[in-house]
Amino acid sequence: MKPVYLVDGKRTPQAKAGGELKEIAAPYLGHYLIRHIVDKYALPSDAIDEVIVGNTGTPAKYPNIGRVIALEAGLHKKTSGYSVHRNCASGMEALSQAFVKIGSGRSDLIFAGGVENMTQMPLMFNKQMTEFFMELMKAKSPVQKLKIFATFRPHFMAPIIAVEQGLTDPFCGKNMGQTAETLARELGISRREQDEFANLSHHKAANATKDGKFRDEILPITAGDKLDKMIADDLGFRANSTAEGLGKLKPYFERETGTVTVGNACPLTDGGSMWLLASEEAVKKYNLDPMARMVDYHFHGLEPERMGLGPVVATHGVLKRAGMKLDQMDLFEYNEAFAAQIIGCMKVMKDKNLSSKWGIDEVIGEIPLERLNVNGGGIALGHPVGSTGSRLVVTLAHELKRRRQKYGIASLCIGGGQGGAVIIENLKV
Amino acid sequence: MSYQNISFEIRDDLVWIGFGLNEKKSMTTFTRETLLDLKDAILKVVDLDKKKGAKGLIFFSHKPGVFLAGVDVTVINGLKTEAEALRALDESHLIFNAVEDLKMSTVALVDGVCLGGGLELALACKKIFVSDSPKTMLGLPEVKLGVLPGFGGTYRLPRKVGLPPALDMILTGKQVRNKAALKMGLAEVMLPSERMKELAPEYLLNRKTGKKKTLKEELQNAAIENFLTRRIIFQKAREKVMETTKGFYPSPLKILEVLERAASKNRTDALALEAEAFAELSQSVQSKNLQHLFFLDDQTKKLPNKDQIPSVRRGAVLGAGVMGGGIAWLFAQNNQAPVMKDLTAAALELGLKQASQNFSSALRKRRMSEDEFNRKMRSIEPTLNFDPFKSVDLVVEAVVENMEVKKKVLSELEGHVKKDCILTSNTSSLSVQEMSKSLADSSRFAGLHFFNPVNKMPLVEIITHENVSQDVINTLYKWVLDVKKTPIVVKDGPGFLVNRILAPYLNEAGYLLEEGVTPEALDNAALNFGMPMGPCRLMDEIGIDVCVKVGKIMEEGLGERAHASSLALKLYDAKLLGKKNGKGFYLYDEKGKVTGKNPEISKLLPSKKVHKDEMMLQMRLFLPMVNEAAYIFADKIVDKASTVDVGMIFGTGFPPFRGGLLRWADQEGLDQIAERLNNFARDVNKDRYHIAPFLTMMIHDKKKFYDL
Repeated sequence: MKPVYLVDGKRTPQAKAGGELKEIAAPYLGHYLIRHIVDKYALPSDAIDEVIVGNTGTPAKYPNIGRVIALEAGLHKKTSGYSVHRNCASGMEALSQAFVKIGSGRSDLIFAGGVENMTQMPLMFNKQMTEFFMELMKAKSPVQKLKIFATFRPHFMAPIIAVEQGLTDPFCGKNMGQTAETLARELGISRREQDEFANLSHHKAANATKDGKFRDEILPITAGDKLDKMIADDLGFRANSTAEGLGKLKPYFERETGTVTVGNACPLTDGGSMWLLASEEAVKKYNLDPMARMVDYHFHGLEPERMGLGPVVATHGVLKRAGMKLDQMDLFEYNEAFAAQIIGCMKVMKDKNLSSKWGIDEVIGEIPLERLNVNGGGIALGHPVGSTGSRLVVTLAHELKRRRQKYGIASLCIGGGQGGAVIIENLKV
Repeated sequence: MSYQNISFEIRDDLVWIGFGLNEKKSMTTFTRETLLDLKDAILKVVDLDKKKGAKGLIFFSHKPGVFLAGVDVTVINGLKTEAEALRALDESHLIFNAVEDLKMSTVALVDGVCLGGGLELALACKKIFVSDSPKTMLGLPEVKLGVLPGFGGTYRLPRKVGLPPALDMILTGKQVRNKAALKMGLAEVMLPSERMKELAPEYLLNRKTGKKKTLKEELQNAAIENFLTRRIIFQKAREKVMETTKGFYPSPLKILEVLERAASKNRTDALALEAEAFAELSQSVQSKNLQHLFFLDDQTKKLPNKDQIPSVRRGAVLGAGVMGGGIAWLFAQNNQAPVMKDLTAAALELGLKQASQNFSSALRKRRMSEDEFNRKMRSIEPTLNFDPFKSVDLVVEAVVENMEVKKKVLSELEGHVKKDCILTSNTSSLSVQEMSKSLADSSRFAGLHFFNPVNKMPLVEIITHENVSQDVINTLYKWVLDVKKTPIVVKDGPGFLVNRILAPYLNEAGYLLEEGVTPEALDNAALNFGMPMGPCRLMDEIGIDVCVKVGKIMEEGLGERAHASSLALKLYDAKLLGKKNGKGFYLYDEKGKVTGKNPEISKLLPSKKVHKDEMMLQMRLFLPMVNEAAYIFADKIVDKASTVDVGMIFGTGFPPFRGGLLRWADQEGLDQIAERLNNFARDVNKDRYHIAPFLTMMIHDKKKFYDL
């Protein structure tokens, strides 16, 4: 494999679904990031080989959002574009495909990232209603139409909520929150532990925002009804949260005895992120100054009902691929889908007995808390599903650069029972 | 059979007459020669018709994008007398009537622009087919030249589409697109542009075409066909015309008269009425002036070797104020995805707000879809740093009007753009020459003066300085045309062209007010001259603070004759800044609408009011402008009278029916003007009315401004 460079990565501010970004159609959560990077490096519009975009709640209007983003960004019409879907890791899948294409010498410049507008995920008509409409359309005479009208029942109107359905595993039937409850129970993770972890995430995010640590990675987005507002900061975190306050929330998924609440889980979020990846040749040709090198990636499956432990198997896999050890990593950017889930991962990774259940016959290592999600994670910043996989890498690369540290790893669990991980090397040490 | 200007062919029992054969100009027009060819061809068709030798006649165009763009304006301009005009019309009526009287099927295949005489020919056919091309536009724009449709348009259009839509089209000269033409019953069917000629015979001979009238439309028609409703329609239309033209333009009133009188007449009489009116209007001074303006505008749009001049693809704006936001809008509107930079997010939001406002009326009137609005607004990239500047071809600096700040900003900017990026400053009064000194490479720098509000004001002054390269000026000129504005190139100097000529007008208004003339009397005098607003209203619009500042610059630059009246300063001290803070000479609501006179003003004005004759007030306001124009020629700010007139009409709304300030001066007579100036110099003020030596010299040489 040839070296693959991460030239520059940017992201939108993130806001809870239904919040400040709700009106922004998904392509517009990505196109301006690309345009900005193209402008910043004065790249000819036809220099880009491909645009790969992760997205899960494919809007009906934009079936192939990758191509739409390429065109909206003003790239040359010959630049191809496509969309990828690997659930929560769609953005990471986009990066991985770019990695393989550039690493194998097939491509030189690729934009890869993800977008998700979870607000705009649709309510759908149920099967009975759809059939009712189809029959109605087939009917010719007014009498036939009247007959079909007579078959209408109010429950036809009950909608299917796409988000809700998307967050339920079709194989094991559990929703994502229930899989987190499973981990909490099996690994003995207390409610208090989860709430404290969540609280810390909020405070780290609030401080990072206050200190302007996201300035370089967030590109302000135009928003508002009249498109005359600019949003430059993440809007999900709560600066005034306390572990006690979080402790008062009712469990959401198992009402009576559960421990997972909306407070110690990530919220539904709108946002996007984008990377420009380049080959050595492209770096020279266009005089680019890459931030980082993508060392490798790995995806790994496990049982869907314990999907939250995906990072364990993915981390193990990517370290093996790269021939590295966990303690070589300076920073860890792990998605916080649920506090229980990420605490669970850390527990398993440092325990040989637990690890062996997933076929790992060694201790992966211990993630030092002070190097994990140093600017807050998904619980505070949110989890725009299609974007998070690349958003983690954006945040990781910028923080490594700021700290002048070398290696970092980004990882996340994936609904459906998978984990994904990426290792990068900061070139700005 | 072969003609020079049209093609003539009989194929499968159909006569095909094609326009735009060998046409080199971008638009095919009716010239005398075309009309002669057409006359001959139609006589042949009439003959065929009698012998039943053909089933149909099809008019089409050889030239893509245009059917016929009307009668060449030089033809109208060449009509020296009413009698000559009548003779020319008689000829054409013969042709058009013959087409209308043919027994065979007749159709015009309109694929592209179809205006004036072009549409009138199409109307003489039994059917009009339009193409689906976005270039397809139909209209009768004669009113814009101060005349009316002379080839039977006033007779045929109302009979085809009904009175109200016909009135709307003829009175405003507005053009309708293919779909609208179908909807209003002007066209029978829409065909794909590429297959139009292939499909036309089938649709002409065998298919039923045309829209079925709905019950509602039938009822509406029935209502309009009644004598009383007609009177009301004409009455309303007349009121509307008076409101918009204030009676300065004779042609809309004449159009109403002709349409009303011809309503119950047969074809011969109706066409005679129309011809008479056309002949009369064509010789009116207003029409001659509007024709003059048409040529000025046309000339402005011509740029030699346009294809070899580079195009600006991407732009950037520095400073997101009212002007910056407006200029960002202009880039975005023309798909040039601009970058907009300012120092704070709040400032950037002001710029976004301005751009959004400029789009809002198009959005409201559905001229723009939500999707398009989204795309264009989002094409503006607000930024706090110079990161995205490396890709832009043109930067317009629009920060505060302060020489030091501008110089600093420009010099900083130079380090963030590519080598061939053109740098410009949007300034209304600061020296471009001085600004150019801040740059290492000043050959790529020029002034670019936009007028406020950017979305409404058509003029852009391109300001040169000693070092600027001609290539840069050419690129800017082309860009201004590309973004559908009107460019003029002027040399650097206090107030450049437009503001320099406007300054004595506003200054003199100040002196007149101090003499005891009321703001209302003064504004009315200007309005009655045909100005879009009076000087007091204009000062409110510009902002009193800006007037004070510009007044100072003028006085410094031009000396005693520009000695500023103290009135503006008095308003400024009383914090009456005009529209921007809701009170100046007038009071304004939040939306910027005038709500009434400002009572505070009377305290600043002399208590003793004087009444001056309106004509006298007009001369006091406008003669100093003519005088200053003479200085402008002496200073070589511009070298053509037409440049001044384009500037004054498109930059200040100087009445178009007067053809421009200098055309007006030429028509008044320069010796007349000199005499009045001398009188004012004696009676009012010797400095301000001191006649420009250049003007004296012109009079001595018996030259007019348009002889320069």
